[in-house]
Amino acid sequence: MQPNVVSLVSIGRHPQSGRARRAEQDGRGVELGLKLAGEKLSVLHVGNPEEPVLRQYVGMGLPAMTVLKQDETADAVPALSDYLQQEKIDIVLTGVRSESGESSGMVPYLLAEKLGWPVVARVADIVSIKDGVAEVLLALPRGQRRSVTVKLPFIASVDNAAAPARQSAFGPGQRARMESVNTHGEVDQIRVNWQEAPAKPRPKRLKTVKAKTAADRFKAATAKPQGGSGKVMKNESAAEKAKAIFDLLIEENVIR
Amino acid sequence: MVIDWLPSILIVVLLALGVIGALRRISLWRAGQPEKVNLIAGLMAMPGRYLNDLHHVVERDKYMSRTHVATAGGFVLSMVLVIAVYVFHVEQKIVAWLLLGALVLMLCGAFFVFKRRLNPPSRLSKGPWMRLPKSLITFALTFIVLTLPVAGVLPEGFGGVLLTLILSVGVIIGLGELIFGMGWGGPMKHAFAGALHLAFHRRPERFGGGRSTGLKPAPLGDESHGVAKPSDFKWNQLLGFDACVQCGKCEAMCPAFAAGQPLNPKKLIQDMVVGLAGGTDAKYAGSPYPGKEVGHAKGGANNIITAGLIEADTLWSCTTCRACVEECPMMIEHVDAIVDMRRFLTMEKGDTPNKGSEVLENIIATDNPNGYAPGSRTNWAADQNLPVIKEKKQADVLFWVSDGAFDMRSQRILRSFVKLMKAANVDVAILGDEERDSGDVARRLGDDATFQSLAKRNLATLSQYSFKKIVTTDPHAYHCLRNEYADFDTEGALKGVEVLHHTTFLNQLVQAGALKLDTFKGGKVTYHDPCYLGRYNGEYEAPRDLLRSLGIEVAEMERSRFRSRCCGGGGGAPITDIPGERRIADMRMEDVTATGAELVAVGCQQCTAMLEGVVEPRPEVKDIAEILAGQLIEEVH
Amino acid sequence: MSDIIRRDPRREWIARNRLHPLHDSVANAVQGEVRGPSGLLRKNPHQVGSIGPNGLKRIDRLKGNAVAGVGNKRSAANQETVLPLHKVDNPDFYIVVVPDMIGGRLSGHDKDILGLAHTMTSTIEGTGAVVAVCFGESKEAHYDLAGVDRLIHLSASEYEGFAPEARLTALTHIEAQLAPKHWLFPDSIHGGSDLGSRLAARLGERPATQAWQVSSEKTVCRGAGGSLDITRQTPRILMLLEECGEAIDETRHEALAIEVDGISVSEPALQDKGLMDVDPSAIPLAEAEFILSAGNGIHNWDQFHKAATILGATEGASRVAVDDGFMPRFRQVGATGTWVTARVYLAVGISGAIQHMQGIGQCDKVVAINTDAGCDMVKRAALSVIGDSEEILAELMLLAQARKKGSQEEQSDAA
Repeated sequence: MQPNVVSLVSIGRHPQSGRARRAEQDGRGVELGLKLAGEKLSVLHVGNPEEPVLRQYVGMGLPAMTVLKQDETADAVPALSDYLQQEKIDIVLTGVRSESGESSGMVPYLLAEKLGWPVVARVADIVSIKDGVAEVLLALPRGQRRSVTVKLPFIASVDNAAAPARQSAFGPGQRARMESVNTHGEVDQIRVNWQEAPAKPRPKRLKTVKAKTAADRFKAATAKPQGGSGKVMKNESAAEKAKAIFDLLIEENVIR
Repeated sequence: MVIDWLPSILIVVLLALGVIGALRRISLWRAGQPEKVNLIAGLMAMPGRYLNDLHHVVERDKYMSRTHVATAGGFVLSMVLVIAVYVFHVEQKIVAWLLLGALVLMLCGAFFVFKRRLNPPSRLSKGPWMRLPKSLITFALTFIVLTLPVAGVLPEGFGGVLLTLILSVGVIIGLGELIFGMGWGGPMKHAFAGALHLAFHRRPERFGGGRSTGLKPAPLGDESHGVAKPSDFKWNQLLGFDACVQCGKCEAMCPAFAAGQPLNPKKLIQDMVVGLAGGTDAKYAGSPYPGKEVGHAKGGANNIITAGLIEADTLWSCTTCRACVEECPMMIEHVDAIVDMRRFLTMEKGDTPNKGSEVLENIIATDNPNGYAPGSRTNWAADQNLPVIKEKKQADVLFWVSDGAFDMRSQRILRSFVKLMKAANVDVAILGDEERDSGDVARRLGDDATFQSLAKRNLATLSQYSFKKIVTTDPHAYHCLRNEYADFDTEGALKGVEVLHHTTFLNQLVQAGALKLDTFKGGKVTYHDPCYLGRYNGEYEAPRDLLRSLGIEVAEMERSRFRSRCCGGGGGAPITDIPGERRIADMRMEDVTATGAELVAVGCQQCTAMLEGVVEPRPEVKDIAEILAGQLIEEVH
Repeated sequence: MSDIIRRDPRREWIARNRLHPLHDSVANAVQGEVRGPSGLLRKNPHQVGSIGPNGLKRIDRLKGNAVAGVGNKRSAANQETVLPLHKVDNPDFYIVVVPDMIGGRLSGHDKDILGLAHTMTSTIEGTGAVVAVCFGESKEAHYDLAGVDRLIHLSASEYEGFAPEARLTALTHIEAQLAPKHWLFPDSIHGGSDLGSRLAARLGERPATQAWQVSSEKTVCRGAGGSLDITRQTPRILMLLEECGEAIDETRHEALAIEVDGISVSEPALQDKGLMDVDPSAIPLAEAEFILSAGNGIHNWDQFHKAATILGATEGASRVAVDDGFMPRFRQVGATGTWVTARVYLAVGISGAIQHMQGIGQCDKVVAINTDAGCDMVKRAALSVIGDSEEILAELMLLAQARKKGSQEEQSDAA
């Protein structure tokens, strides 16, 4: 049985140029969806169906996608949950966090709450679906994975550790159908009162030295910063050199 | 007596069969896409193109050019006279003597063909090509004997029925190869297809000493993009594939073939022939793609090429260095065909290998292949005090910086060039952050949609300002601006603008005495011709002149100028990164080392990067601008 | 000696009065510590130092008042433990912090948030208490020093490991019981952001995520993929970035336990099947935390692969090693390969082309093994070892094997 999978996609933002692009995690969501459902995957976007970036998602090899047409200032969640309730869906895939807008990462949680489905966060892969139960791998830091099983239907947010999105091809992207559905969006009232400004670089935390004495404070202020050129071992024996490296590895806690 | 008529009848029959075969062949070409060609003018120009342009290429191998002139000239002449004598029965002795002369000439040629085939170099195809000299000799000898009575040397009816029968067999063998085989796909197909290919060439500008190297734009928005099936090629491209003589000159020059990557331009063209005619490559008798076995490729005019005929890796191995095109005596356009097929893989299949997709995505999102912030494009020039044309609106020279702006090694070249321009008081400006990638990489990787979008946006920017020259240190950008942007330049942004490579421009400055240079006192220096400067744009002299102005006598590599070996950095090859047995850059560095040079001068940042990627110890690699800047005598005020 | 500190008002008076005839004798006498009204140690600056041979006063700044302390060991022993206690008796409101507790301990991120919770309480009217909600087994010994006024420790087995749903149920109970003014979560991949989002969705609150500048009124949080600063009213639920506040370090706190009763956890929809055994060589290069990387200087490739296995490192390679076919392309580190973020990058026989150095720009500690002491990699490395890589790798493997053996024996001893 092939599951009914919906991948939710948003308009991404390139971190360097700030230009619209296929969002990194959403692309991986579509990739995971293609793995699970093949061409039957539905791709869903809320917003402007004319947005050219959407072509990059369908260019991954989909004949069509659905766009819930809505104003940019409107909240996407009500439209999405209304739409998803109508369809018979097993898995909804989203990114962990959008690259534009509020980037709160709340969409999967709010949808799950409304639909009464479980939500699985930071999925690296969906390994198998058997008898209505999916085996899911969660991404943990530093390449670690946790295995979790969950009953269908559920919502999963796809982590950066998932398989990267395949290349988007220009031709199929241009030819794919954009099925636009009109929805009534409510303007996000809370957000209207927010002030938005380009991100300021965060100040790096200074190492405040709680020195007991003026001498300690003086030393802290004038001491050479750590780093610079490191220690070089030249004439020691191989065993000593290896020991020095080994000590560093243990100190850094990478050897268990 | 019927038996006397036998040779004549055979001639007529074989001629007729040959014509039928030729018509069938033409119908195969017609499966290709339409392309407007001036048929009459092309046919009129054909003999000239043959005698001039084609002969020029063949002339590089004196032995072969003379052999070919004798054989082909003798054959064409004798065939005309054979028809005159044996079909239309012109019974003048002088004609018969002429025929004899032509046949002897051909016999001589055929003998030398035979001699070459005794111990053929590996680049030559074997198989049916091995029997060609024998067929040529049979033809010549048969008709010599046949004509002797006509010329009055031997009495009429000499030799009786037996000789006539033997000669008839000779006629069948000779004409079967030379006329019947011409139409039905034998080795002699090259004469017929080659002649028409010369007449209907897709790049007629190449004849008469011209140069046409820019890729043709891909039409966007159709049902499919690029070439998926042989029938997606233009009809005259298909005709061009059929013109191949399998001489293997391309194979001998191809850097990817030498590096053991799965590409052999000759086999590629032969696979195209298999594709257009249908069938398998089992009969192919030349070198295979390195590491691939011959005999498994299957194709048809309407079958997807990469599904069975050619593996995608073959197409991605090409560095688009044009060495094969430059070397091809039949003027076949390998690079066009390869990029056409890449276009399908990238724009339809989304299947650009390795880093290809990442690079294309970066180009789309940031206008540079490595995904750097577009706003940091001018960071390298923070200390250079270079005017930005947005503020000046006009300048004599617009310096096209290209993506080297993001690369710390290339920035050294850029700075050197700026130093030289300042010393010469050039009125120069840069586009600054308004500049975008020229689209070279995107185009060679088959993404013409992105290339065209970049080209149009760059042209729109350029059209806002006025300048007389564009100078760039990047031959790839140079090629795009000079040869490929014209197809999209509806506003005339580059109209009347001279596009120059920095070596050309610097040479002008040096010749005009605007730069004072010290003589160079280093060791031996050699010069590496970048493909996109040399073969693509014909600039071989300016860099050498510049080196000479420093008192450097260039120690030329064995492969230099139009035969220069690629550094391996073109056509997106470092990005698609198809594994081979060697690295192209290493081979080029061996060429450099063989000259004993301590320094290799280059005119391209990509070549610099590739050659510097060779493990030390190796000769130093420097751009010509860097060498010049080092020898600049700065005036102290 | 008695531990009770006794003051002698007369001596103090003489010590203060420099004109007193007995002043010199009192002042020069090695005196015990002087404590101010808040119990903090006070130092008499006039007492510090000694008169040098030429009559000038000399102060030994390096040792502080070590001279004065010599005769009085008691002061040094007591100094650390007597941070003032911050007491909250009848809190008017609560701010609840749900720390990540990586490995059962408060992380730096958690402590910052606890500190922030205190700065928030101090600006809100009334007395507030900072509550920490900890799940599962706890190894943390110093909740009091981290600023925990009240502690809810839920150690039942259903909260162990990966149990976001059970934890969410517990949090909703706490919500009902304490009605906290704010909920603070670390915005981290260790579960904080997940739990916070779940609670926000359940309570129907609009949280602030990726918040980094928070006061009780205004919150600045990142939006649009970190490219935007959104300034908004501080909501009830906050997910906070690292370094959002200053950790507590000058006070002690009560860390009084609060009992939460009657939580009934239903069967979770997400069943934890445990951590996967991830082979270090299977970890994507970009994510790996310890990379053993090989370059042109490696000649014994079998040994290299063996070393990577024994050290438990992910393998990387320079471009040359890949070009020469010794390593697959996906192992290539650098601007033209993979950009890595390893904490320790052990470069063996890599001289460090500029593209390679770009690729390891984000690595914390670089260790170089190389024969050329002048190469760029050695300049970048925190520790460089000049010598034959084969020999050194062999020694390293011996050390690693010895350690493994040692820890195994330890385990068997314990058993």
